[in-house]
Amino acid sequence: MVPMPRGQATWPRFRAGRVAGNMTVILLGLAWAGTLRAQEAAVHYLHHGVMPPGAIGQGQLQRGGPLPGFFQPVEIKAPPGALVSLAEGGGFEASQAAPRRAGLLIGSVYRLRVTNIPRAEGLEVFPTIEVIDRLYAPLGQEIRFAIPVELTQEDLEIALGGRFVTRVIYLEDPHRALPVASEGGQMWFDVGPSRDPLAVADGLGRPVAILRMGGRLPQAGRDPGFFFGSPPWIACPPRPATAKPAKAVPAKPAAAAPAEPVPAPPGAPEKAQP
Amino acid sequence: MIARRKVENATPQAKAGQRWPRAWRLAVIALGILILSSCRGPAMPGPGMAGSPADGGTLPPTAFSGPGFVAQAAGDDSRVPARLPGMELGVPVPYTPAAPWQPPGIAGPWPPDEYVCDGGNAGPPVRVGRQYDVHGLGVEDTVAHFDTLEGQTLVEPSNRVCLYSPRFGAVRQVVGVEIDQQRDRATDVHLPSRLAAPTTSQQLGLSGQKVQPVAGLGMHPAEALRMRQGDGALSSRIGPNGFDNAYRSYENVAVIRQGIFIEAEAPFLAKGVQAAVAWSHDQAVQIILDHQAANALASTRKLQETYTVGSLPAQPRLRLVKVASTPFAEPGDEVAFTLRFDNVGNQPIGNVTILDSLSGRLEYVAGSAQCSRKAQFSTRPNEGDSVLVRCELSDPLPPGAGGVLRFSCRVR
Repeated sequence: MVPMPRGQATWPRFRAGRVAGNMTVILLGLAWAGTLRAQEAAVHYLHHGVMPPGAIGQGQLQRGGPLPGFFQPVEIKAPPGALVSLAEGGGFEASQAAPRRAGLLIGSVYRLRVTNIPRAEGLEVFPTIEVIDRLYAPLGQEIRFAIPVELTQEDLEIALGGRFVTRVIYLEDPHRALPVASEGGQMWFDVGPSRDPLAVADGLGRPVAILRMGGRLPQAGRDPGFFFGSPPWIACPPRPATAKPAKAVPAKPAAAAPAEPVPAPPGAPEKAQP
Repeated sequence: MIARRKVENATPQAKAGQRWPRAWRLAVIALGILILSSCRGPAMPGPGMAGSPADGGTLPPTAFSGPGFVAQAAGDDSRVPARLPGMELGVPVPYTPAAPWQPPGIAGPWPPDEYVCDGGNAGPPVRVGRQYDVHGLGVEDTVAHFDTLEGQTLVEPSNRVCLYSPRFGAVRQVVGVEIDQQRDRATDVHLPSRLAAPTTSQQLGLSGQKVQPVAGLGMHPAEALRMRQGDGALSSRIGPNGFDNAYRSYENVAVIRQGIFIEAEAPFLAKGVQAAVAWSHDQAVQIILDHQAANALASTRKLQETYTVGSLPAQPRLRLVKVASTPFAEPGDEVAFTLRFDNVGNQPIGNVTILDSLSGRLEYVAGSAQCSRKAQFSTRPNEGDSVLVRCELSDPLPPGAGGVLRFSCRVR
């Protein structure tokens, strides 16, 4: 088949139409690509809870936003009597009693050492904390509203038993939060080994941190990979002992005091209402 | 002929290119644009990463202010490619954030998942039926309905109050070596030849548990159906506890104390305000002559103002202002809410009823409700597994009159 030559009379019109069509496709492509970023949801489609420590946090940094360089306060809680120390400079600092608060970088992995565990004195557990998102607390309230990371007695014993515990801490959606009080500790759910804890946490709220525990002990001698480079952190003051305010409204007995009117706006009739 | 010769002398690639469908070429162009538009460079670590403050020292004042607020520390310049004028070593950047970071163009509070809000009418407009049955009152809504002299029942929402109160949960997964062994044995070739296979399929107990989610029971409580049966069945009437006449610190605004909206207090009130347009003072009665509202006549001919008393058109209106005792609270804290209601219209209104459907994160403190006017309180469960606080004034509210309603909640 011989290709048909382009006629000199129709060629300019055909060429102009093709150029216009290509330009339209290019403009539509640019307009569509520009909306891709706005349609990104804050969920971890490409991440899984079984990814190595640091991978999810680094992926979060790639998504942009005011995350790099921000020290997110984290409150590490442990059973009474347990001592917690963070890694610094290729080793561990002096152990301190829990709970303790520290500002951790987003995307970095922090190795902890938990000692003096109740009912397991003499044994050590080396969990890791990876902060994958931050909070936007009001100015001056960042430390007060730190992300709670709980090292429960049960989790520590499971880790000592040779199993691996992954806890994905998420920020609850207030519209889907369970209407129960949470003063007794952090509410958590168990998922089976066939499910992705990060995906489950995505469905319940916004994942902010991942705690991993068990399955790794420092090797004898120098083991730089064990500390994940000892990223910097900031020591935060501990929570004050008297954090709870006093009762705001004292209850009064029924019909103990008569109803009193509140001053009305100026210009109102002077006759008070009963 | 010229065109045919060009085609015959063209390279094989050009001939092949001419045989490509046009749609295929356009698709390649669109794909290239998409790939080029999606490329992003790696995030640059912020200056706050420099240096290790892990020595247990004092907290830098701008450590939690986000990236870019502190210049690079001396001796470590490997992460900052260039220093702009005014960002020399050790010199703090003069900009100090006045508020937490927030994406531009998005109304606060942001992010919404860190706040617990109450008040306003976020969903469909609330309607009151002839039997005073309320429709459209969602969780977190706060409205007041009242009757006018013309027989209408009007609804007025309050402003929205938001508390910074993030709450966290966790998803735990425990894996071990035993689980991996079970997975390896699942492909055992002996299984198909054994008669135990039907026995395995008869274990319906696991499936029975899957169709009984506890969370589903919580999301669809029975209270939603009970509410349709009307008032009284589940209502627990609470006697008025009197009123503590002393104002509290968070109520130190003129709109709460005297019912006067002052422009200077707008920033304080605007923290959780979405209905501030209803607070404008020019909608309130400014001049009262002989217990009647007057309107001002402005004229450019005389240097005076003339007030006349006439038959103004009926403008029944109720203003409902809501404030909270604290802008942030932790789980377990107690928060007091104050509702100031004022008749800013020009005729009396009756059957003033204030409804506050509390969020599931707020637990009503029993016995904490009090009103400055004679009123009847009652509570009943709402869809959010919290309560609906109802306060009905016993007497009509004349023009210019107002009152205060208080109650407390505990943050869950």
